[in-house]
Amino acid sequence: MTCEEMMAQLADYLGGELVVEHHETVTVHIKGCAKCDSYVTTYSHTTRIVRTLPKCGSLPPAFEARLREVLAEHLSEEVK
Amino acid sequence: MVAPLPEKLTPELVFREYAPRIYNLARRMLGNDAEDVTQDVLLQVVRKLDTFRGDSQIATWLHRVTVNAALAHRQKRANRQKHEAGEVDDDVLETAAPDTAVKRWNVAPDEPVLEAEQHAIIEKAINELPEPFRDVYLLADVEGLPNVDIGNMLGLSVAAVKSRLHRARMRMRDLLAPHFEERDAL
Repeated sequence: MTCEEMMAQLADYLGGELVVEHHETVTVHIKGCAKCDSYVTTYSHTTRIVRTLPKCGSLPPAFEARLREVLAEHLSEEVK
Repeated sequence: MVAPLPEKLTPELVFREYAPRIYNLARRMLGNDAEDVTQDVLLQVVRKLDTFRGDSQIATWLHRVTVNAALAHRQKRANRQKHEAGEVDDDVLETAAPDTAVKRWNVAPDEPVLEAEQHAIIEKAINELPEPFRDVYLLADVEGLPNVDIGNMLGLSVAAVKSRLHRARMRMRDLLAPHFEERDAL
């Protein structure tokens, strides 16, 4: 297996979606290729560190105040 | 996307629990135009409050509505600027193997705890992804949605989602590498 072939299968490899013998072929390549081993590790790090991003932070205060006004207005119109 | 909620959804609860989530997804997809989209989506949620039966249902719906609103907003913006959306060429982001040595990163092995400054670096890198790749990447690796749901939201096959996600991850790796690589010993 070449490095290019490994790269083409990397996502499926890490997702556990390759058949056993293909998975093993990729594993053997990675273990024998320092460059690919390091690449796969840092590719996996990327996914892990991005998952630490907060899904929700605070709203900007001015926008929050404006949004509250819009919501209040909407609710008062619904009551009418 | 959401923690379990009390049985009774009120507009105040929706505002508190969902407005920041809607805003953050819209901000990451659209940048400065996120406020308009957040307002539209929030009002849609409030109008439909009585129809939701549980938090998983509202979470799925919320992702879909926010993505639809963001894509529609982006389309309007493109029309105003007379840009044609056109077909996306996945080869814009390459998948070539690295041709030089790849340095190790200085990242904790299990659950890395990052500083605010590092989060800002990641946000900036996401923002540098071309939009079609950024959408897939955000929904998969930030929001944690399954590929099949992302395909349904964006009108893509699962194969196309996987291809864009892989290319986006490779670009993200390259963009983040200079910030996380181990320093050479002096």
